[in-house]
Amino acid sequence: MNWLFLLSYSLHAMVPLTLTAVGEIVTETSGLFNIGLEGILLISAFAGALGAEASGNAIVGLLTGMAVGAAFGLLFAVINTYWKGTQMVTGIGINLFAVGFVAFGLILLGSPGFHDVPTSAELTSIRSGMGGISPMIFVALVIPFLIHWFLRRTRVGLILKATGEMPEAADVSGINVNMVRILAAIFGASLAGLGGAYMSVAWLGSVTKDLSAGRGFIALACVVFSGLNPLLALLGGFIFAFFQGLAETLKTMPNKIIPWQFVSMLPYIVTLLVVSGAIGRVRFPKELGVPYKRE
Amino acid sequence: MSEQSAAKESRLLRGVHKTVTGLNPVLESLLAGVVGLLIGALLMYIWGFDPWKAYMSLFKGAFGDSYGWASSIARGTPLVLTALTFSICLRAGMFNIGAEGQMMIGAIAAITIALFVLPAGLHMIVGLVIAATAGAIWSIVPAILKIMRGVSEVISTIMFNWIGRFLVIWLGVHILVDPTRAEKTLSIPKATRFPVIMKGTDLTASVFLAVGVALIIYFVLWHTTVGYEVRAAGLNPTAARYGGIRNKRTMILAFLLGGATAGLAGAALVMGLPPSYAIFSSGMPNLTNMGFDGMAVAMVGRNHPIGILLAALFFGGLNAGGRMMQLGSNAVPLEMVRVVMGAIVLAMSIPELIRLFPAIKKSVENIVGRIRDRRERRAVKEVSE
Amino acid sequence: MTSEKPNTSPVESKGGYFLRGEKMGKIYSDGTVALKEASIEIHTHEIIGLLGENGAGKTTFTKILSGLLPPTSGRVLSPKGPVRFSSPREALDFGIGMVHQHFALVGTFTAAENVALSHERPFTRIQLAKAEARLEELMEESGLHVPLDVPIEKLAVGEQQRVEILKVLSRDVDLLILDEPTSVLTPLEVDELFTLLKRLKGEGKSIILITHKLKEVQSVTDRVVVLRHGELVGDVPTETATTEQLAQLMVGQAIDKDAGAVELSDQELPLKRERSVVNRDADSVLHVEGLTIRSNVGDIAVEDLSFDVYGGEIFGIAGVEGNGQSELVESLTGLRVPMRGQATINGTNILGLSPREIYKLGVAHIPEDRWELGLVLPFTLAENAILGVHQWKEFKGPLSFLRWGKINTHVRALMDRFEIRAAGPSSPAKSLSGGNQQKLIVGRELAKDPAIIVASQPTRGLDIGAAKYIRDLLEEMRDNGRAILLVSADLDEVLARADRIAIMYEGRFMAVCDPDELDREQIGLLMGGVEREEARV
Repeated sequence: MNWLFLLSYSLHAMVPLTLTAVGEIVTETSGLFNIGLEGILLISAFAGALGAEASGNAIVGLLTGMAVGAAFGLLFAVINTYWKGTQMVTGIGINLFAVGFVAFGLILLGSPGFHDVPTSAELTSIRSGMGGISPMIFVALVIPFLIHWFLRRTRVGLILKATGEMPEAADVSGINVNMVRILAAIFGASLAGLGGAYMSVAWLGSVTKDLSAGRGFIALACVVFSGLNPLLALLGGFIFAFFQGLAETLKTMPNKIIPWQFVSMLPYIVTLLVVSGAIGRVRFPKELGVPYKRE
Repeated sequence: MSEQSAAKESRLLRGVHKTVTGLNPVLESLLAGVVGLLIGALLMYIWGFDPWKAYMSLFKGAFGDSYGWASSIARGTPLVLTALTFSICLRAGMFNIGAEGQMMIGAIAAITIALFVLPAGLHMIVGLVIAATAGAIWSIVPAILKIMRGVSEVISTIMFNWIGRFLVIWLGVHILVDPTRAEKTLSIPKATRFPVIMKGTDLTASVFLAVGVALIIYFVLWHTTVGYEVRAAGLNPTAARYGGIRNKRTMILAFLLGGATAGLAGAALVMGLPPSYAIFSSGMPNLTNMGFDGMAVAMVGRNHPIGILLAALFFGGLNAGGRMMQLGSNAVPLEMVRVVMGAIVLAMSIPELIRLFPAIKKSVENIVGRIRDRRERRAVKEVSE
Repeated sequence: MTSEKPNTSPVESKGGYFLRGEKMGKIYSDGTVALKEASIEIHTHEIIGLLGENGAGKTTFTKILSGLLPPTSGRVLSPKGPVRFSSPREALDFGIGMVHQHFALVGTFTAAENVALSHERPFTRIQLAKAEARLEELMEESGLHVPLDVPIEKLAVGEQQRVEILKVLSRDVDLLILDEPTSVLTPLEVDELFTLLKRLKGEGKSIILITHKLKEVQSVTDRVVVLRHGELVGDVPTETATTEQLAQLMVGQAIDKDAGAVELSDQELPLKRERSVVNRDADSVLHVEGLTIRSNVGDIAVEDLSFDVYGGEIFGIAGVEGNGQSELVESLTGLRVPMRGQATINGTNILGLSPREIYKLGVAHIPEDRWELGLVLPFTLAENAILGVHQWKEFKGPLSFLRWGKINTHVRALMDRFEIRAAGPSSPAKSLSGGNQQKLIVGRELAKDPAIIVASQPTRGLDIGAAKYIRDLLEEMRDNGRAILLVSADLDEVLARADRIAIMYEGRFMAVCDPDELDREQIGLLMGGVEREEARV
């Protein structure tokens, strides 16, 4: 059992999960439920790869991914606040659109379903005993702490919680509930965008049609597990990533006892178990998913 | 104006108003369709394609000749069933995103009939029943989790999609594999296949299955107490409970029904899709995305079986025509079709799309008014000081 | 009718005026007249009691006064500046703060966090310590104490209200409006609140206390303003007004305090009618004993209630809403489980049963909130008409097929019988007017051939024609021998139609008697919480 590989893979796989989950925590705290994260991950990975390639600079690629994520966050939020839309349907729409768009784009780039990011545009890894370690891992480790502090200790954090929990109270205090939700969604989606761009630019080095592989939904499960606590999201991200890593490790091993299909199922089964078990003790903002109307 | 003509005029206006508002849902779907196509056109244009030519070849391929129609209907057939899955559960107030997984499980379950022999008609029915049951079983766990532990059915059904996918791959590679060609499963025996109803196309009798199921669901929802309870529970659970409806039981029923329909979709795909009548275990190209596309069909079809039939035809046409669109000089990859589908769903998520334009106007007026108010107040304050 | 006070600081009031409403009127776009030309002057150093029944216009009145609702006629003035705000926050900045019945507090926040929410400049780090320090100061000054580090939802309701008040006080308001503040307080907390109010008055603030409780008004206010049916019918100094006068103003007879004459409006003329003679020797249909019910917020909503309703009578429960009526009805119709007590229908217990089981025992329910409980709005008229009875043999065929033919016939008969105006059985329920919707519900419930009908606010929001129709219908049912439990905040309705009435206040029956036994003034007193003995009844 190649433990180093497992650890390295897990840490790397943790990044998109944690970033997306933490971003969605912010979004859900304000009362919006963005199910389109899967699509955002995918399309930001694509955009990030393009951005990195076009500029020759990996950082630009990451920022491009964030920007694309933010744009979709904005779209999602505006539809579901001012235009009183249905959050579920918008999210599903984003997912469908992203899948089509990325597949379409990949074909246009020459190789259907697959595109390599030139190494020059990839984020350079730090050499270590485990092989290359992406610096983004440290970003993913730090951000949960920042957001956690932010939510608990700043007034903006208070405002966010108020809009999700009791928008009437926030409204009475002069807070523009819809605006807050829009900004929260933009922020959350841009973190997801960062996670997506990371996958193509800093980790896997390529974009494939099914790059996201359910990560967006695993991140949602991570949010449930975390009870909207970013630190727990970090833990959860690592746990789910660990099982993804386990699956990968077992696949490379000459092991014919457990077929790889079952190993691949692991992360999803674990997610399911965690979500089923976690529900009892978790408390979500009262107004999550409910559009706000001033009486 | 004389009194009579005034009365007549208002009656006419009222009639027009009534028609327009009555047609509202249909108009919305049409409008969303147009918006989606426009967005697709925009993207095509940006990438240097000719959108008009592309759409022309798309629609010609889909509805230009009988071959096109046959193709469109064939592609729409499984979509009808997976769309029904989503719609039935939505009517009960829940989001079943698991049609993809339930369909795949249904497909592999249908393949199992290759393992035994029964008289022809019975064999086919048994195959359908097995597929429907398998699909229903696959959807029951998320339903129970939701009812007992409050687990979001969105997350659980999606997890089951992935678990199901891998399970089916494994079954296809190890258990139900075709001994002569390892990359596919056993094929459905000839006797139990849906016969091709138009030579030279892949349109099979499975379309009758789809239409039949849609009609049955229609009757169940609007003409039985079971369906009545499902709809009431979805629209107003409090009033439903008050009317003696047991909401939990209804939810489970809806999920079972939805899962069964998805299972039938899987059956329709393997028993009704020439030439191989089997599943190709790597990637499963025939099956993939049928579930998600079905959701788009459901939404555009306003979650009504009749609307779904029409929407499935449309989306089936998009798929069929897409193949034409990628040929020739102005070759647009058929993935553009999925882009259009996504854009249509996005447009559908905005309620009252038609009212959007006045809504934008109103928000702008709102902002302007507020700025004016503030300026007024500041002026008054200055005067009084 | 209204007191005239000169513009400059008069000798009588202790301060200058802070706010003046001149001929304020409000007519909503659907034609409802919420307020008719009310004028009032609010002084500093003053506590005003605002009295009135449900629907009298108190909310509209205060909203206009506090600048949150533009009047359709008249205006509001203040020496401090224009009184027109687009959000409660602006009103707070101006100096007008309102403490609502339903607190605008975030449950998961602590008191300090709730105050901080309405306070600081955006985007700075909250110095919770600073907020807490300021709160401690305030608490000392005002005498209101709350634990600062506990999430609000864990506090008792009285404490929550204190946080709400502190929140408003911390903004340094000049006018404090409290909407039915004592409905959630214990008597001790009420005393503390009133002590605080008096202290604030001493500091120069103006206070408006909205209430329907006569004794409170007597104990803490300087002035009483009474609204009835949207009209300001009285503005008198508290010391000169007796509870009887106030009660009269609130429920029926307008007093010109100078002239001392009594005017009766047409609708108040007591109706002489045939009350039904009920056979009290037979067993009652509904028997309630010792019923005690907890409210959603944890206090006691109904206390040790006992009564009987017999077949062939309308038993009317009158009283201002919020005194336990909803909880009582919910317990009798399967939506709530009481703490203690008994309730039986013809001998069979109904407490704790599901709505379906209760219906099977012969109980029909016309719910208070027809949109939430009574109808599935997107459904058609016919689909709504069979809600609850859709499993009947006549409607349900083999394989659970709905026999739409029979159903539509039945629905058309209903439409005929109850004069429900709609295009047909397939009209969507939401296209029906409120009156027709209610008639649909009544028709549906009556088709169940019930032993008892529980009608909760059955004519709320209906036009006069529809309301009369419903009331006549209930009488007809009564004449057919059914028992009717009528719960209504519309006193006229109860007095006119019920055979026996009970006046409900804070979860108890202040009186149970014939409607003719009491005069309106006495009823007003009872509704306002004055005990029978004191009301000399």
